[in-house]
Amino acid sequence: MPAAELTPPEAARWAARTGLPLPADRHAEVAATADHIHSVVSVLRELDFGDTPPAADYRAAEEGDQQRAGTGENNAAV
Amino acid sequence: MQPYELSLTAAADRIRTRQLSPVELVDSVLDRIERTEPHLRAYVTVTADRARSSARRAEQELSAGRAAGPLPGIPMGLKDMIDVAGVATTGSSRVREGHRADADSTAAARLTAAGAALVGKTHTHEFAYGLTTPQTRNAWDQERVAGGSSGGSAVAVAAGAATFALGTDTGGSIRVPAALNGIVGLKPTYGLVPRHGVTSLSWSLDHVGPLTRTVEDAAAVLAALAGDAPRDPASAPTPSTDRQPDADMDLTGLRVGVPVNYYFDHVDPEVEAAVRRAVDRLAELGAHLVDVEIPMTRYIQAVQWGLMVPEATAYHERTLRSVPERYAADVRILLEAGELMPAGDYLRAQRARTLMRRSWLSTLEEVDVIAAPTVPTTAAKADQPTLTWPDGTVETVSDAYVRLSAPANITGLPALTLPVGHDRAGMPIGMQLMGRPQSEAVLLRAGHAYERTGPPRTLAPVGGTAPDGTAPGGPAAAVDAMTLL
Repeated sequence: MPAAELTPPEAARWAARTGLPLPADRHAEVAATADHIHSVVSVLRELDFGDTPPAADYRAAEEGDQQRAGTGENNAAV
Repeated sequence: MQPYELSLTAAADRIRTRQLSPVELVDSVLDRIERTEPHLRAYVTVTADRARSSARRAEQELSAGRAAGPLPGIPMGLKDMIDVAGVATTGSSRVREGHRADADSTAAARLTAAGAALVGKTHTHEFAYGLTTPQTRNAWDQERVAGGSSGGSAVAVAAGAATFALGTDTGGSIRVPAALNGIVGLKPTYGLVPRHGVTSLSWSLDHVGPLTRTVEDAAAVLAALAGDAPRDPASAPTPSTDRQPDADMDLTGLRVGVPVNYYFDHVDPEVEAAVRRAVDRLAELGAHLVDVEIPMTRYIQAVQWGLMVPEATAYHERTLRSVPERYAADVRILLEAGELMPAGDYLRAQRARTLMRRSWLSTLEEVDVIAAPTVPTTAAKADQPTLTWPDGTVETVSDAYVRLSAPANITGLPALTLPVGHDRAGMPIGMQLMGRPQSEAVLLRAGHAYERTGPPRTLAPVGGTAPDGTAPGGPAAAVDAMTLL
């Protein structure tokens, strides 16, 4: 197994640190899926971003409106 | 022709001129739902009483000589991610057991104000996190996938079980099922249609848009939906533009970009041939074809996943901890694995998105529209997990379906899919037209002109009710969310 790959116990420990305790029977599957996702997204490390900022998704002037609207589960898409 | 077979535009015209009653139209569509649902399972909930009452209201307004709205009593299905007050928004998931929306989403409120009659909430791949919608069957062949995640909406419209529907599109979820079921789907510019009251899959990629039988119908629904909404952070002030295409089929001066890379790689030869024929048809209408190079293609899947995976996990954070067993297996594992993605990966995806948007906008200075296949193949068999390309490359069906549609989600550019033929098995093929931000009018004009060169589209050939009241067998029958919910 390449050094970068997560072992099932590592996946369990990482998940626990995020506040998601995983049952033992899920450790291997979560590790394998996380590894696959990692293999897809890690290609972005090839890019030299320079000063490129992340794409933004909010309008600062209306932050207050958004917070007032986004209080319930079904308003989470605002 | 039965009322359920009419396009939105034709039905609205007949209603306005009192040749058709909205009550008659709604009854016809409800009857069609009753006959097709045992085969297709497009709906989570059918709201027959509500639809009849909307139709009666439209009828009374017309009888009283009051101006009817632009969608007078037109039967619509809403993907079950879209809130309607007093109705559950299930996301086709057991996680939402007992749910009831307190208020209308902005989209539902605008369509209701325009006169539309809700006939039901349509199935989605659970919480829109998938490309097949396993509860629902393809309208043209019930052994094949509906596509997703707005599978129920696409199948209902294709079968005549809704005159139009709304879907959501995070990586292709309007366009993929629209293409696989032979109808029109429009993913508008990011932020043009408000998402307030719509369950999110991935805030920075989510779009709401129409699924219809004609391009003209898509324009009519967009007109009722579009516009600034302060409660959606992606919404921006938009000029009140008339996007309705006219009868002019002359495309002289329109520059249509034809990709020389990516969009025709690993594409079924029958799909490629149909799309190239359709592009040639645009040229015959006066469009000028220009070769274009699609930028940064190596990073498309990485950006899509780098944004969607952690955003989806964040949305489901609480329920993943409280009721994880209620998620379907394929969605639960993605949500769990998403917890393990470092913030650095997410930021790289956001920064790469900035670069990708700039590159696409630069390409779109040279052309007005980019024409390409919507999906690389027609609908797969429901039990087929992967595709194998002639060079030996193996790709999951979901990865293949999202591959050609994701760029418009990452960049926020508008994208319209419309039917351009069938393969030898009779399954529909879709062509995608993409353009600059807010250029929906251009896409709709080109799509409508193309559409007018062919005969009127027919409904999918769905059979009658099965003798025993059940749908044909097949792997899609394994999950029946209608009984779960």
